[in-house]
Amino acid sequence: MALLEVQGITKVFGHGHLEVRALDGVSLTVEAGELVALMGPSGSGKTTLLLCISLILEPTSGTVVFDGQTIYRDGATWLDVRRLRREKIGFVFQTANLIPFLTARENVLFPLTLVGTAPKVAAARVMELLEYMEISARADYLPALLSGGEQQRVAIARALANRPKLILADEPTASLDTARGKKVMALLKRIAREHRTAVVTVTHDPRMIEGFDVIYHLKDGRLENSPERT
Amino acid sequence: MDLAVRDLKLHKGRFLATVLGVGLLFTIVLTMNGVYRGNVFEGTALITHTGPDLWVVERDRGGPFNEQSSLPEILADSVAAVPGVAQASPFIYYPVERSIKGVSRRFSIIGYEVFGGLGGPRELTRGRPITQAHYEMVAHEKLGVRVGEKVPLGLHTFTVVGLTREAVATDGEPLVYLSLADAQEFLFQRDNEEVRNQRERQRRSLAAQGVSPAQVERLLPHLAPDTHIINAVLVRLEPGADRVQVATHIRDWLYLSVFTTQEEVELVIRGRLARMSAQLLFFRTLLLLVSVVIISLVIYTFTMEKIRSIAVMKLIGAPNWTVVRMILEESLLMTVSSFLIGLGLIYSIVDLFPRKILLLPGDTMFTFLVALVGGVLASVLGVWQVLRTPPGLALGGQ
Repeated sequence: MALLEVQGITKVFGHGHLEVRALDGVSLTVEAGELVALMGPSGSGKTTLLLCISLILEPTSGTVVFDGQTIYRDGATWLDVRRLRREKIGFVFQTANLIPFLTARENVLFPLTLVGTAPKVAAARVMELLEYMEISARADYLPALLSGGEQQRVAIARALANRPKLILADEPTASLDTARGKKVMALLKRIAREHRTAVVTVTHDPRMIEGFDVIYHLKDGRLENSPERT
Repeated sequence: MDLAVRDLKLHKGRFLATVLGVGLLFTIVLTMNGVYRGNVFEGTALITHTGPDLWVVERDRGGPFNEQSSLPEILADSVAAVPGVAQASPFIYYPVERSIKGVSRRFSIIGYEVFGGLGGPRELTRGRPITQAHYEMVAHEKLGVRVGEKVPLGLHTFTVVGLTREAVATDGEPLVYLSLADAQEFLFQRDNEEVRNQRERQRRSLAAQGVSPAQVERLLPHLAPDTHIINAVLVRLEPGADRVQVATHIRDWLYLSVFTTQEEVELVIRGRLARMSAQLLFFRTLLLLVSVVIISLVIYTFTMEKIRSIAVMKLIGAPNWTVVRMILEESLLMTVSSFLIGLGLIYSIVDLFPRKILLLPGDTMFTFLVALVGGVLASVLGVWQVLRTPPGLALGGQ
């Protein structure tokens, strides 16, 4: 069974002559540990699709099945979506979006406190992740004192904190130079392989998705042709 | 992990500036509390310190502190004869302004029967009580005189024999205790020039009525103004005497007004102090509102500055309460810190005020509770902003 099944997702903003169909019957599947790229020009609906998958934005119609559970069907959801997000989904953003008043260590710790992880266990997990991301030497730095690449690595560590089954990444390399961007993508690939965490990433840049398993192309809210499987 | 503390730590400059500013406002609020309480304390201290069982004053007057009350001294004997009265003493209270050591000073004269009468000073800080019928005085330390010093008042010079600090006049000015006779003379006797002028007016008036010069000379001494005037009679009841019954008897048979010490205190509070109390309450309310508005604006600005972080927190699954608590804690931390600064400041400068600032723990606690409620209210704008922030904002909009 696929980790994520999205069937016929439609998202309409506004109504009447102001209606904008941001997603129009989008269907896709993501397996556990799979690397999926969503590509397409600006305004094609990539970010909207990420928001709909994580139910940050409620689709207008369609079905979302995640981890064997129908989490959304035609205007209705049956679960605590915030709990779903904090326990099973990790997010990586275009910019690191670290909480500026927390140190790198505390930023990674934050999602663990949300699920009530015991302090000792949480502290160990944070150090494990920071070491994994090769940023442990800067654990007690505030984000403003870290470089863009370092911030993004902390952001990935934060996304991984609760051992999510799915990471949703919205153009995670957009604010980095090519070399740093490639490093970040390499990290995401490593995570997918080593932790069997599925990664769905939105990107414009084809150079960043070398080695990805599936590539979906979106245009005007629709998937173009069949997905590319490598 | 305390998000509020971490955030304020990052913005400690602005936090400290806000806390200092609002702290100064709280200082003013607490000072206003102290001014009001100080006025009530000073306004009623003399009444409670004198503390007889009953105050007898001119009929339909609230005096002697609330309004002028004049009684013939002889009425003290009538009151003393009322069943249930153990002692009745004449009492004079009169605010004056006179030159003391070349400086014009306001103070109040108290005249009492120095040989066992009620109404004299209870505790002296230096010297002794008045032991002679004339020309001795006990003064409040605030008057700035020393024991043994000679002070000219009216037609005579008085020797300071004792100092007190137990009570001040109802307007906060120092008290001067004199014997009843001295006080009466000082307050009611006119100077020689005025006496001569009055005699001349009376002489002409009598002559115009056809009274012979010899008769005029015989009559004139009897027309001199009476100085045996008092303002109140202080009453000590016999043990077991019914206060109400005695008061009713004095009212009905002597046609005078009677108040207990508590009633006299209430008269002052309801009369002279009531409007000031309302004025200060209004001022305090305004200052508290200003404090709440300042804190709420600062909190709102703090919230708006981290709106993206709030969106991130919500996006990664933080419940609303986690974020709302951060805003609330920031607001309360600001309120509590400001209040503590205000409290510390007022306690360190309280003695510098020229009049008594009385800080009561109950008032301070009440103000603190009102400030806390204000702190919660101040966070409302920020909390509202938190609740309406879409998590999708973290991804660059929807």
